[in-house]
Amino acid sequence: MKVDEIMTKKLEIISAEASIYDAIERMIDKRIRSLLVKPGDAHDVYGVITVRDIVHKALGKNLDLNKMKVSEIMSKPVISVDKGVDVEHAIVLMTKSNITRVFVNEGREIVGIVSLLDVMSAALINRAREGHGV
Amino acid sequence: MFKKVFGGNAEQKVIDSIKQHMQILYSASECFKKGLQEGNKAQMYCVADLEREGDSVRREIISMIYEGAFLPFLRTNICRFVEIVDEAFDVLKDTAFEFEYLGPNLDQEIREDCIQIAAINQQMCDMLMIAFDTLFSKGDLREKTLAIRIYEKKVDDMKFDLIGRLRNKEVKTFWEGRTLSDFISYLTHISDVIEDASDYLHIINLSMR
Repeated sequence: MKVDEIMTKKLEIISAEASIYDAIERMIDKRIRSLLVKPGDAHDVYGVITVRDIVHKALGKNLDLNKMKVSEIMSKPVISVDKGVDVEHAIVLMTKSNITRVFVNEGREIVGIVSLLDVMSAALINRAREGHGV
Repeated sequence: MFKKVFGGNAEQKVIDSIKQHMQILYSASECFKKGLQEGNKAQMYCVADLEREGDSVRREIISMIYEGAFLPFLRTNICRFVEIVDEAFDVLKDTAFEFEYLGPNLDQEIREDCIQIAAINQQMCDMLMIAFDTLFSKGDLREKTLAIRIYEKKVDDMKFDLIGRLRNKEVKTFWEGRTLSDFISYLTHISDVIEDASDYLHIINLSMR
């Protein structure tokens, strides 16, 4: 099974210039744990800010969430896999990098995200379908 | 086990008809998805046609059961299962009906999500057939019903996201808003009904032990 068959296509994107508080609001509103940070210009690459970044790098240090920018604590570049690779490859990458989600790219563009839950759900559905075609 | 214990001719006819009933539901959901992808209202008429066909198969099944197929303690649960599958037909038909009024007014962004939900609904119909087959084989029914619950959860997540976005959408008339709201409600309700049907398969399975 390929990653583009199980990925979530809906991506929440935030600007690197936005405040950490904006990022927190977006995550809470959308009930998600990471935001894709859009590149600053054509030569720049995508970044990612996660709940873990916010807790360890901002909240844990008691910093001003309104003054701090996303760019100060985000990770860059994002770890991504090509949309045509097998899910097994994404699992290996997640295990190696100790991450719970991996972005999916098509060329330079990020087109989706695959989480551990997506992988587990797909594996269980596959298991249920075993020997029944489709 | 089902077949082994209750494998008479009348029972076999009922089982075959239930499979046919579910196959028609699968075809209707496939036809609906195609209509949605093509934005073709005329394509949606097949949903109503297949719903009528499904209705007639349901009547046959209920008659066969009350003419004596299966032991009485099993009849109620089997009939209920068939009725729930039939309810899925009704909701699918209602969704197709709303689409006839909505047609081109469906936003591109919403349309993509609706197509994805329609595709999941179709996969759920397929999984329901697989789960039903499991009653007669050594397969694990629990595994199949879990897959159906995973699909349902996906639709649920998409539903809340869609509703959130729709709340910010401007509508010009009462009926425009009402039609869109009903369309999304029906489309996302199909998965709930299929999940209910799979729960009944679990009950049937338990009642045969």
